[in-house]
Amino acid sequence: MKTLGVLAVALLCGALPYLTTSNYVIGIAISACIFTVAAAALNIVYGYVGLLSFAQLGFWGIGGYAAALTVMTYGGSFWQGLLWAAILNAAVALVIGYPALRTNRHAFVIVTLAFTLLVTLIARDWVDMTRGPLGIPGLPAPTLFGLEFNTTPRFYWIAWTFAVVALGALYILCSSRIGRTLVAIKQNEPLVRAQGISPMPYKLAAFAISAAVTGVAGGIYAFHLRVIDPLFLDFYYMQTFLIMVIIGGAGSFWGVVLAGMVMAAVPEILRFSADFRMIIYGIILLVAMLAMPNGVAGWLHDRRVERMRAALR
Amino acid sequence: MAIDPIYIVQLTVNGIVLGLLYALIAVGLALIFGVIEIINFAHGELLMVGAYAMAFALPAVGLLYWPALAVAVIVSAIGGLVIYELFLSRLRTSEFERSVLITLALSIIILHVVQYLFTANPRLVDTQYGFDGVDIGAIRITWTRLIGAGAALVAFALLYVTLKYTQFGRAMRAIAQNREAALMVGIQPRAVARNAIVLATALCGLAGAVLAPIQLVTPSMGQSLIFKAFALVIIGGLGNIPGAIVAAVGLGLMESWIGGFFEIIWQELAVFLVMIVVLLLKPDGLFRREAMRVG
Repeated sequence: MKTLGVLAVALLCGALPYLTTSNYVIGIAISACIFTVAAAALNIVYGYVGLLSFAQLGFWGIGGYAAALTVMTYGGSFWQGLLWAAILNAAVALVIGYPALRTNRHAFVIVTLAFTLLVTLIARDWVDMTRGPLGIPGLPAPTLFGLEFNTTPRFYWIAWTFAVVALGALYILCSSRIGRTLVAIKQNEPLVRAQGISPMPYKLAAFAISAAVTGVAGGIYAFHLRVIDPLFLDFYYMQTFLIMVIIGGAGSFWGVVLAGMVMAAVPEILRFSADFRMIIYGIILLVAMLAMPNGVAGWLHDRRVERMRAALR
Repeated sequence: MAIDPIYIVQLTVNGIVLGLLYALIAVGLALIFGVIEIINFAHGELLMVGAYAMAFALPAVGLLYWPALAVAVIVSAIGGLVIYELFLSRLRTSEFERSVLITLALSIIILHVVQYLFTANPRLVDTQYGFDGVDIGAIRITWTRLIGAGAALVAFALLYVTLKYTQFGRAMRAIAQNREAALMVGIQPRAVARNAIVLATALCGLAGAVLAPIQLVTPSMGQSLIFKAFALVIIGGLGNIPGAIVAAVGLGLMESWIGGFFEIIWQELAVFLVMIVVLLLKPDGLFRREAMRVG
């Protein structure tokens, strides 16, 4: 039943270009697909393993730059760019993750934040490579077997296919034994150790997978924007991913996916000045953390438990 | 290449001043973390609010330095008090990620409200001391920097005395070192946490106020400083106050020396690279000790 529902929604989203001709709506849908995947990747690290990672923004930026540079500087194709984005991010995640995960969860937050700042600095100041604040404009449309994805509805196919494949893969990961181990690490790490499972490889793997997925999402988003500059690492993106995860409910797979689809449309409705948008996002984050720290999914879960308790009484 | 010794000494002096100001920020973070295990992401914005308070108070009191400084410290401390009473006092100690996200949201709100109200244009802040300096031998240092460093040193001395010899400070150390035992002897964690936050944010307001005449005041000035301060408390060992001060002065010196000889980018990268190396070698920071101690 649930599977059918998910399939129906996925197909309905896939049929969007037939339902509307508005490039504006399809553009929002592209962002929704990409942001939802990035939020789902953050959910693996934060929701499942319980590690608050600000490195996602850095991975997003590395992915964007890796894809753009592969095409513009090294003459590769868009698809090779995405591959490099994934490989590079996974490698970087292992290098950063190992020292960061050896510390406690307090230090982890700060190390991942510092990593993101480092990426921002490099994007801005390594001018020979990234062309600094000027950025790299004019990213070409991706092509596949002679088909050029040069219009918004065509690009939507890439975003949609990516969202379906990535979310499917992440769902399989989360519902597998690995996913259950990750939740166990979050809930009771000493118990996991006592069961003879070393948490470190699992944490590292989750961090690296999440980095790779975020990187590919960043790569696709850069080609959607057709330009990449240090603003691609604006904290606004991190905030968006965080809000999606928190509103949806950290640790709830479908909650976050649903929140991603809904929350991607909200910034479009709230089209005020950039400052005002950030203030509203800040307030949403604050209220969500105060009122329902486990998100909508957590709130529903509490209600269900409450009802069961009442029925048993 | 012949290196001018006077140039080195000048860089060293600048580095120490810079380091002491970093230390003011890092000490507040370490204090808050030690007492309630929260990393205050809004710390940089409280510093920025302190700097703006200084910038607005100075013309009002006829450019007199010290009254304006007092206003800035009080404004930041009140900001800290409000944040604690409204938001942080509800949190349990196990809710670390929640505290990060709440203070992060506050930081974003404060930053953009200030930017909205006063625009992002940098402000130059003039004081009664102007931009004059003293010459010690061949070394030149502006009055505002000298006073800033002096104020930081006095603040550390006062903080040491407070934490070491007063009931107020001993209660903070007690909570940090053994929460249960502190509760048993009748220390109220809420009041102590509130005191710690007010003390830390007052220090941070002081940092903002002394920085205002030294560098330009912008809404984002807190951000770049706070990220360095985060790295510093990690390097020094979370919740370790002397560790944070040592790390901060070390970083100030390092940045100043690097800035004197290499490209500016290395100055920014240095602190993060040091942090990663320290974490690889000593995951608990350089000066890990049992809970929060001052001496």
